Amino acid sequence: MTTSNARVTAAPRVSLAGLTRRTPALIVVGGSVVLAVVIAIVGGPTQIVNTLVTGGMWALMSMGLALIFGVMNIPHFAHGESFMVGAFVAYYIFTPLTNFLQNHPSGLLTALAPFAGIIGAGLAGAVMGIIIERLVVAPLRHRTREGWVMNTFLLTAGISYVLTNGATLTLGADYRGVQQYWDVPPLQFLGVRLTLDRLVAFVISIVVISILWAFMQRSNTGRSIRAVSQDETGAQMVGINLDAVHTLTFALATGVAALAGASLLFMFPAYPTVGQNPLYVSWYVVMLVGLGNVPGAIIGGFIVALLQTATEQFLGLSWINVVPVVLMIIVLLVAPSGIFGSEVKGIQEQ
Amino acid sequence: MESHIELDRKSEVKGGSAWQGAVAVLERIGFTPLGLALLIVIAILPMVGPFKQEYILSWLIEAAFFGAQAIAFDFTAGFINVINFGFAAFLGLGAYTSALLANTTPFLALRLGISPWIGMWAGALLAGIVGLGLGVLTLRLRGIFAAIMAWFFGIALMGLANNLTSLTRGSLGLHPNTLFNTPSNLPYYYVVLAMLVLIYVVLKQVTKSPYGLAFKAIGQNIDAARASGINPTKYRVANFALSCACAGLLGGFYAHFYASLTPATVMPTSNTVEVLAIAYIGGRGSLWGGVAFAFPFIMFIEWLKSSTTNLPGLELVIYGVLMIVVMIYYPGGLAGIYAWAETHVRAMFYRWRTPRPDIAGHTAADS
Repeated sequence: MTTSNARVTAAPRVSLAGLTRRTPALIVVGGSVVLAVVIAIVGGPTQIVNTLVTGGMWALMSMGLALIFGVMNIPHFAHGESFMVGAFVAYYIFTPLTNFLQNHPSGLLTALAPFAGIIGAGLAGAVMGIIIERLVVAPLRHRTREGWVMNTFLLTAGISYVLTNGATLTLGADYRGVQQYWDVPPLQFLGVRLTLDRLVAFVISIVVISILWAFMQRSNTGRSIRAVSQDETGAQMVGINLDAVHTLTFALATGVAALAGASLLFMFPAYPTVGQNPLYVSWYVVMLVGLGNVPGAIIGGFIVALLQTATEQFLGLSWINVVPVVLMIIVLLVAPSGIFGSEVKGIQEQ
Repeated sequence: MESHIELDRKSEVKGGSAWQGAVAVLERIGFTPLGLALLIVIAILPMVGPFKQEYILSWLIEAAFFGAQAIAFDFTAGFINVINFGFAAFLGLGAYTSALLANTTPFLALRLGISPWIGMWAGALLAGIVGLGLGVLTLRLRGIFAAIMAWFFGIALMGLANNLTSLTRGSLGLHPNTLFNTPSNLPYYYVVLAMLVLIYVVLKQVTKSPYGLAFKAIGQNIDAARASGINPTKYRVANFALSCACAGLLGGFYAHFYASLTPATVMPTSNTVEVLAIAYIGGRGSLWGGVAFAFPFIMFIEWLKSSTTNLPGLELVIYGVLMIVVMIYYPGGLAGIYAWAETHVRAMFYRWRTPRPDIAGHTAADS
């Protein structure tokens, strides 16, 4: 490979530049807009608002998945378990707080209690990410990089298995959920009914995505993460601590997934296998847009949420896992590296 | 290198004793003397003394069932380095095919009443054909894409089994007739053991053929394999379809042994991960490793579960932890440890048999 080529591939992967180059992308995005209009007409605007709420969360989850794959080349299979841990932590912070506040009423604290649960879950998720990375992923990376993508895939599958069954073993398979975080009547505007929980979940997803985006683009740490995703050797040469970047990336992605799990506690109660569906959906998003493509994953999260709403609307809830697979096979036949493209080295090296 | 070993063996046979001849014949089928001895032990185990219990027999059946699955799984994972994450769904496909063909109950529209002994093979055939189709579509892509697509496909199959209620009764479940009319589990044990041996021998023969060489080449470095004139897609699809067919056959056994079939118990991804863990702990690319691990471990866990209560999913946590440890620290698994031990024992034996060389490095045989 010549130097000029190398300079071309060194263009920042985390950018909007590569998004609109491909026709499949235009077809899928255009189709989604049409689908959104159809759903808005058939199902009413509330459907669209709900789609936006779940879309924001899928975007958050998929962004973490894409980040891990882009930077560390790990096809993370335990991402859903971060979601699960987030839901559990939020439940175990929020419920005692609520019980306490019932005995000691305080308006301000009641409004803030859910945030304590959600932020606590995010932090717990990040800590869990650090532990997993240091305990399991780093030893494998230090031993061998041979067959890295497949090996880490199986390794994270093992982690997912241990966490799911460990949760069953210690906490049981019961559902632990909350009716709603904020006990206020739903907001009404333009014929849309929107509970405060959903609104906050949407705001959280947008705020976190924006903060993460700014962090990746503007801060020095974010720049070093992007540097590692482009060229590990080069990043090491300019003095970037590879181990620290890997741990940080893993913690960020895990924390974000835990945040999603906590914010959606009112929709998905906490139970050991709650992460399976979010994992499946975020993998679907990441495969659709191209492995490791972070901006693509954000858009893809909304597209897939729309697709789910459409399947539910026109075919029924039980088909929600069947229809996407058929579409995915078609997409992969046309554009094997996803609709927005993927430039991750790991998949080529296998 | 392979051919040299083959030549050595032949010369051994010519000049060797009857024992060596027998060993050579065994190796041709894919067994070592130790392997055969262990197989005989597990075959007569349910007839001797303390093991002559129905519940122990059901543990043995479970162990053989998982061991056989691990062989079929390892055939794909350990050789062409493609993880069939929809393995359990293919097993479920075989199970449902066999169960539906054998159905005589008035609950369903389909009432063919075909013998399960034929239905099992029909299930294997269908799973193989579907695996072939999925392989043609996805195995052109890199390993990770193929694995994820197999996973998606498995979830879709499970969704179909849940939705086509007129055919499968969905989550209400099917109750296929059993293979035998006896209350004892003994005949089932020999059926699943026969399936295990059949799958092992067939897959072992394939891996010893030129196909096996191509599989290994593809698994190690797909680009190098392609450069040396191997068409990776063709071999990967063949391998994948064969593995799926084995899964379908075992599914047929599952349907007519447990006589209860719901998508949530046969087809979920967690079943695949369980098989994957057994195959990996046993040793990637060995075929027999999963069986060698499954028998003692499943017996131990079942004993543990019967003596302690209230530990749901304990064995699954142990599987996961063991698998992680094996993947990080002992990539060869049980088979790797065995190979290491065998080399050392052989080296000791060799040193004991051959005369010690003098200081110049000549032995008595040299002069």
